[in-house]
Amino acid sequence: MSEQAAVSPGDIVREAASLRRSLQAGFREEVVTSLYGEVERISRRAVRDAGAQPLELDQRIDRIVTSRALGLPLMLAILAVIFWLTIVGANVPSRMLATALFRVEGLGAGAFDGLGAPWWLTGFVWHGVFRGLAWVVSVMLPPMAIFFPLFTILEDLGYLPRVAFNLDFLFKRAGAHGKQALTMAMGFGCNAAGVIATRVIDSPRERLVAILTNNFVPCNGRFPTLIMLATVFVAAAFPPAVASLVAAGSVVAIVLVGVLFTLVVSWALSRTILKGEASVFTLELPPYRRPGVLRILYTSLIDRTLFVLWRAILTAAPAGAVIWILGNIVVGGESLATHVSQALNPLGHAVGLDGVILLAYIIAIPANEIVVPTMLMVYMAEGMMTDLQGFDELRALLVGQHGWTLLTAVNLMLFSLLHNPCATTIITIYKETLSAKWASIGALMPLGLAFLVTFLTATAARTFLGH
Amino acid sequence: MWSTWAFAFFALLVALLWPGTGVLARWRRRRVALGREQAENALKHLLSQSSAGHAASLASLQGALRASDRALLSLTERLEREGLIRTRGTEFRLTSEGERVALQVVRAHRLWELYLADELGVPVGQVHEKAERAEHHLSPVEVERLSAALGHPETDPHGDPIPGRDGEVIAPELTPLSAWPVGRPGRIVHLEDEPPLAYAQLAALGLRLGQVVHIVDATTTRLVLSDGENEYVLAPMLAGNVHVTAAAGVAAPAEPVLRLSDLPAGSLAEVVALDPGLRGFMRRRLLDLGFTPGARIRPDLTTFSGDPRAYRLRGTTIALRRDHSDRVLVRAVA
Repeated sequence: MSEQAAVSPGDIVREAASLRRSLQAGFREEVVTSLYGEVERISRRAVRDAGAQPLELDQRIDRIVTSRALGLPLMLAILAVIFWLTIVGANVPSRMLATALFRVEGLGAGAFDGLGAPWWLTGFVWHGVFRGLAWVVSVMLPPMAIFFPLFTILEDLGYLPRVAFNLDFLFKRAGAHGKQALTMAMGFGCNAAGVIATRVIDSPRERLVAILTNNFVPCNGRFPTLIMLATVFVAAAFPPAVASLVAAGSVVAIVLVGVLFTLVVSWALSRTILKGEASVFTLELPPYRRPGVLRILYTSLIDRTLFVLWRAILTAAPAGAVIWILGNIVVGGESLATHVSQALNPLGHAVGLDGVILLAYIIAIPANEIVVPTMLMVYMAEGMMTDLQGFDELRALLVGQHGWTLLTAVNLMLFSLLHNPCATTIITIYKETLSAKWASIGALMPLGLAFLVTFLTATAARTFLGH
Repeated sequence: MWSTWAFAFFALLVALLWPGTGVLARWRRRRVALGREQAENALKHLLSQSSAGHAASLASLQGALRASDRALLSLTERLEREGLIRTRGTEFRLTSEGERVALQVVRAHRLWELYLADELGVPVGQVHEKAERAEHHLSPVEVERLSAALGHPETDPHGDPIPGRDGEVIAPELTPLSAWPVGRPGRIVHLEDEPPLAYAQLAALGLRLGQVVHIVDATTTRLVLSDGENEYVLAPMLAGNVHVTAAAGVAAPAEPVLRLSDLPAGSLAEVVALDPGLRGFMRRRLLDLGFTPGARIRPDLTTFSGDPRAYRLRGTTIALRRDHSDRVLVRAVA
C-alpha cells in the first residue's frame, strides 16, 4: 500500500508519456501491428487452408473483368444487356397493364355516372387521380420489376467494386473519389439513395462532389422517359428486328453522356468552389459470391420496386388531380393548362422543347416518374385522344398532333438527364449536408446546365440542320 | 405616403437592433472577436520574445501586430489591468497568468495545424496561415476535445512541441543541422515553419519529419544531405531551420527497399514500413487494412490506365492509387 501511495497520478502520466516517446512509430501503429500479429497467430493455429481453388477462379475472373482490353467493353456490354432485357421484357406487360387499368377507368367512370355523381366528381376521381395512378403503374412497374432484380444480381455478385476499380482513373483526373462510381451505380436505382450512399466517401470535399453530381445518373424514375423516347423516336427509324437493340443502345449512350457530365462537372467543381486534392482512396475488391435468388427477389421487388412505386403513386395521385383541374378549369375560353403551357412556350421553344413539357416538369418536381404521364395527360386533355394503347399511337399523338421532331426527343432526353433532381433528392441533399446552400446548388446547378445544354443543341440544330 | 416611410423606418430599426442578428449586435461581436485576436497575438509575441531571451517593446509589438500607437497603448494598458503583462520602463513581460494564456493560444494553434494536416490532408505548407486565424476562435473545451480526438499529440506537423493542458512544454532534444557532425545519421524532428518562404523551400526539397539523413558534405556555401536514396542540397542559412536528433536504433535496411508502386506485377513482397510522411487519417486507414510491417503483399490487378492497382494482402484484394501505394515501403521476398 505504502509503495502505491508514493506514486502520484502525475508520475504515472509522465512515465506513460516517456514510454510513448520511446516508441518508434507512435502507439496507434504499434497497437495495430500487434493486433494483426495476434490475429495471424490465432489464424495459423485455428484455420486450415483447404486448397486455394475458389480463390484462383475469382482471380481468373478478375483478370478478365479488369483487363485493359476487355474491362471497359465488358462493362458497357453488361449495361446494354440489362437495358435491352428491361426494354424487351417490359413492353408487353406494360401494354397489358395499361389496357386493363384504362378499362377499369372506363368502368369506374361509368359506374359513377350510373349512380348520378356530378360530372366533376367523376372527372376528378377517375380521369384525374385514377388515370395518374394508372399511368405510373403501367409505365413504371414492368421496367422496375425487371431492372432492379438484374441490377441487384450484379451488386450481389460483387461486380460493382470492379466497375469502380476500372473507372477510377477517370475520377482521379476529375479530382473525385473512386468510390463515386459506386454511389453513381446506386443512383441508377434512385438518386436519393445515391446521395445517401456517398457516406462511403470519407473526404468531405469529394463527398460533396459526389452528392452534387449524382443527379447526372438517370434514376429509375427517369428511365421510363428515356426508354420511351428511345423506343418511339430513335428505334422506330430502324427495322423491328433490331429496334430493341437500338433502343437499348441509345439508353446506354444517354447514360454515357450522363457519366461524361458527371466527370466534367466534378472536374469543374474541384477546380472552383470545391478546390482540393484527391484524398486517400482504398477500395476492397471482395470475393465473388453466388447471388441469393430469393433474397434478390425480396430486396429488389419489395424494398425497391414497391418502395419506389409507392412513392410515385403518392405523388402521381395529387399530380393527376392537379392536371385534371388545370385541364378543366376554363378561363377566357381556354383551360388553365393551355394558358400556362402557352406562357411557357417561348422558353420551351428556345430550348427545343415546348410549354407542355416544361409544365409537366414543374408538376413533376415531387417525383420525376410522372413526367411522361403528366405530359401525355396535358396533351390529351387538349387533343382528341382519350385512350392510348401502345407506342405507335403515342408516336402518332406526339409527332402528328403536337409537332414533335427528332430535336424535341433528343433535347427531352438531355433535359431529363440533366435537369434538377426530384424533391426527395433535394431534401436528402439537405439532410446529408445540413446546408441550404448545398441543397440549392444541388438543385439549381443541374437545372441551369440542362437549360444551357438544350439551348445550345436547339440553336445548333436550327442553325445547321434547319429544324 | 407617410405610412410607407414609417414602415421603412421601422424595418431599418429592426435590421439594426435585432438581438443576435442585427447590424449592431454583429458589429459588437466582431469588435469583441477582434479585441480577443489582438490581445492573444500580443501575448503570443511576448511569449516568443521571452523564449528567445529578450523582452518585448512597443516597437517589436508594432512589428508583430501592425497596429497604431494609440491602439497598442490601450491594448497594453488593458492587458496590464487584467494582470497578463507587466510593464517595466519601455519593456513588456508576461506575468505567469499571461504566459499560461499565451501557451493556450499556442496549444490551440498547433493542435489545429495538426488536425488540418493529418485529418483533412491540407498541405503542411498551408496549415500555419489557417491556424493563425482559427486559434482565436476555439474555446478551451473545444481545444480539449481536439486534443483528445487527435490522441493527445505532443508535436505539431512541423515538429514543434504542443503545450499541455496546464501549459507544460516538453521541448525535444534537437540540434540544428548546421551543428550536426558530418556522416552521423540523424532523424529530422523539426522543420521551422517561420518564415513561410524558408519552410516552402524545405518542403519543395522534399525534406520531411521522421526522415533519417546524414550530412555528406558541408561547405560555407552549401550543405549536402542524403537519406540513402536521394541527395538534398541546402543553403547553409536554411540548415539552421532543420533540427535533428540522434537516430537511435534505426539500422540501414539489409535489402534494398522499394516502393509498393514500383513492385512488378505478380512478385511477392513484404511490407517494411509506411512512409513517415504519410500521417493521420491516411496512415490509420492503411494500417487498419493490414499494411503492417511483415505483411505479405503481391500486386494482383492493373487497370486500363495502370493506376490504381489492386494488391493481394492478407487474403483480400485492395485497390490503391499510385499516390498512396508509393508511400508503402516493401522488400522483395524470394
